[in-house]
Amino acid sequence: MTTETLLQRATEILAPFSKGNSNPEANRLDVNIEASDLPAATAALLSSEWGYLSAITPTDLGKEVNKLEVIYHFCEGAAITSLRIHLPREDQPDIPSISDQIPVASFFERELSEMLGVHVVGTPDSSRLFLPDDWPNGVYPLREDFSIEQAAPVEPRETLPEMGRVGNKFTVPIGPQHPALKEPGHFEFAVDGEIITGARMRLGYVHRGIEKATEQRNWIQNLYLLERICGICSHTHTSAYAMGVEKLAQVDVPQRAQAIREIVAGLERVHSHLLWLGVAAHEAGFDTLFMYSWRDRETVMDLLETLTGNRVNYSITVLGGVKYDFTAEHSRAIHKAMDYLEERIRYYLHIVTTDASFLQRTRGIGTMSLEEAKHFGALGPTARASGLERDVRIDSPYGAYHHFPVSLITAENGDLEARFEVRMKELLVSCFTIRTIVDNLPAGELAVRFPRKVPAGETISRVEAPRGEAFYYIKSGGGESPTRLKIRTPSLCNWTSALNKSIGHQLADVPMLIAGMDPCFSCNDRMITVRRKNDSQTISWSQMREYGIKKYAEIRETK
Amino acid sequence: MSVLASLLSLMFFPAGISLILSGMLYEWADRKLVARFQNRIGPRWFQPLADTIKLLSKEEIKPHSAHNLLFYGLPIVALSGALTAALYTPILGFSPIYSFQGDLIVALYLLSLLTMCTGLAGWNGASRFSLIGATRSLTQLFAYEAPFLLALLGPAMAAGTWTIKDISAYAGNHWMFLAQPVGFVVALIGLMGKLELPPFDAPEAETEIVAGALTEYSGRGLALFHIGKSVELVVAISLVTAFYLGGIGNPLIFLLKTLIILLFMAMLQSMLTRLRIDQTVGMWWRFGALLALLQILVIVLLKGWLS
Repeated sequence: MTTETLLQRATEILAPFSKGNSNPEANRLDVNIEASDLPAATAALLSSEWGYLSAITPTDLGKEVNKLEVIYHFCEGAAITSLRIHLPREDQPDIPSISDQIPVASFFERELSEMLGVHVVGTPDSSRLFLPDDWPNGVYPLREDFSIEQAAPVEPRETLPEMGRVGNKFTVPIGPQHPALKEPGHFEFAVDGEIITGARMRLGYVHRGIEKATEQRNWIQNLYLLERICGICSHTHTSAYAMGVEKLAQVDVPQRAQAIREIVAGLERVHSHLLWLGVAAHEAGFDTLFMYSWRDRETVMDLLETLTGNRVNYSITVLGGVKYDFTAEHSRAIHKAMDYLEERIRYYLHIVTTDASFLQRTRGIGTMSLEEAKHFGALGPTARASGLERDVRIDSPYGAYHHFPVSLITAENGDLEARFEVRMKELLVSCFTIRTIVDNLPAGELAVRFPRKVPAGETISRVEAPRGEAFYYIKSGGGESPTRLKIRTPSLCNWTSALNKSIGHQLADVPMLIAGMDPCFSCNDRMITVRRKNDSQTISWSQMREYGIKKYAEIRETK
Repeated sequence: MSVLASLLSLMFFPAGISLILSGMLYEWADRKLVARFQNRIGPRWFQPLADTIKLLSKEEIKPHSAHNLLFYGLPIVALSGALTAALYTPILGFSPIYSFQGDLIVALYLLSLLTMCTGLAGWNGASRFSLIGATRSLTQLFAYEAPFLLALLGPAMAAGTWTIKDISAYAGNHWMFLAQPVGFVVALIGLMGKLELPPFDAPEAETEIVAGALTEYSGRGLALFHIGKSVELVVAISLVTAFYLGGIGNPLIFLLKTLIILLFMAMLQSMLTRLRIDQTVGMWWRFGALLALLQILVIVLLKGWLS
């Protein structure tokens, strides 16, 4: 179905609830509805199998409008339908929950209630997800009148009370500091012997307040801030942001720049999946594969360093184009690295699908059917391993993917083995795409001039990160900085499936199940700055700037 | 004089200092081999010694709820069990210094003492990770112990004696790993289970339960457990080598044989994925125990037929 017919259908489905439609962009439908109609409108979309809930954007429209805005974004192919709800700007207005229809909404609703202070009626879990335990009640960081003084720490409240002991069940905590999790998340698994009977999680240990911080920085500064959301898929965030802002500013990025962005995105996917392969193998206790895959990952890391000068935050994207050009020498280096990597990846694909002792730990473990994947709202390779055909690069091609399409990789079984298979095959596809783009790199400019101010408006930009769809909602008031930036990273959508599928499995399978969705904690956590009383570690922006200038002067002197 | 000799043998050779040092060297060899298989550089030769010295000099932290005597006593019992077992074992191809009818059983139980102590220590540690680790350690003990014992019983039955010294002497004239190949394989893999080496490292799977039963141990206690384990490695390898690879003999050749076994074990360690505890138990009782029993049956029948 084309995007137009999809939007047409959505208009028809939502007609009974609509209080006014608009088409802000060619692929978007905006429907204003009443809060009380939300569950019915969601049910109507779900029953006609129109799309999946991609994100919820909570916004405070400010004192003048005196309204809170909550937007529910549903995506199907390239089409996006947004249900826009306006709520009174009082303390804790009500909005009905849709978690009973869409399990993943539970995370979004928790974020909504703790960040914007909306009372979600009937949400299954209203405990804190992101905010710290000692955050005062009734202080909502996304409200316009929020100031950091309001967030003075209070007596910590226990967000996750100990799960009751029933018979010989007890709780095994994993994280925030645990050898299995090198990243800060907290999980509690109730176990009966070795069998998992319950699972819960808590995020927010590395919340940095990035969404809020973007509103205080200009468009260009934000590029570097957003790059630091994630250490693995940093390029994903800059490209999603740059694409959105370029759309708003109506700047056409040169073909060559788009192609170079896609090469870097492909290399990033290669390094991310190889990293994941090592981690997942380590969780299974197969350290040899871990060491081998990380050794080979160095090839692509070195390549990225050669091309961009950095290993992690490549910083190659600028608004309106890219910073660095690729030469013939670079393409030779890329081809050489791809030769090596393709051979290794084929070998790993062979290992993960044939090694008997490894298959004992992956085959038939955590099996997720196509229906379950849809129901839980899984994204990325996790979804594709269950046969769900969901890939933004194919559904809604962006940038250079118009000219250099990638092929969709899916598997049928939905178990851990299928996730290994899908990721390894995706690596081969990425290698192939990188080669194709390098060989057919369009000639032209690297970047075009970008205005300091971006015209008022809002846009949605979606990018396929290595872990699945990354969702950016960008709103400009016509000034030098965004008025609202909402980021939803793929890991947040995959938690529901990982936690639900762990129940009934053995404790020994849990690290594998968590690793199976390739979680990325830093991207989940974005929004809060915490300042404690008499904390000498808190430094202001100007102090930071002075410190930086001094430091660089020192470095220059020593050189 | 005999008192002095006993003391010397207890303190220096074959038990005591030399055993502990050789345990560390074997541990180093194992770590180095696995590292090379995994494309890593691996530790320097004195790393296990350095680790031990570091651990011994560190503070020992005891959980509040742990029983005092058990907490401090268990590492000592575990280590002394492993050291005592060495007295009945042909370490480095030398004839064992003590021996009596049935010492095979005693030696094997002394070796199991380490696992039992680990289990108890985990239960005493009062941490959830150590409790699960202890349960897994003891569950695994029940899985490999019987097949391992049966695998060592094969040579004993062939030799017609329960004394390690006599079995080793008999094995010196008969290449047991050719005569009883199934028993040899079961013994080798049982050895890995006993030492909780990968793929049988579920009791200390760091990605699930941190360090398993020993999670709460630090400093001296942890060092003693570690030494105990490397001593057990030497004793158990020596036992299997003496029984299956040509008995007591030239120390150099004996050393070489043990190193071949170590090489083989290191290969298995780096090639296999960790088994879940249910898979470990299933594997041992479905295949290990049956194969070992089959071997015993063949020996019994052959002996009856020959006589």
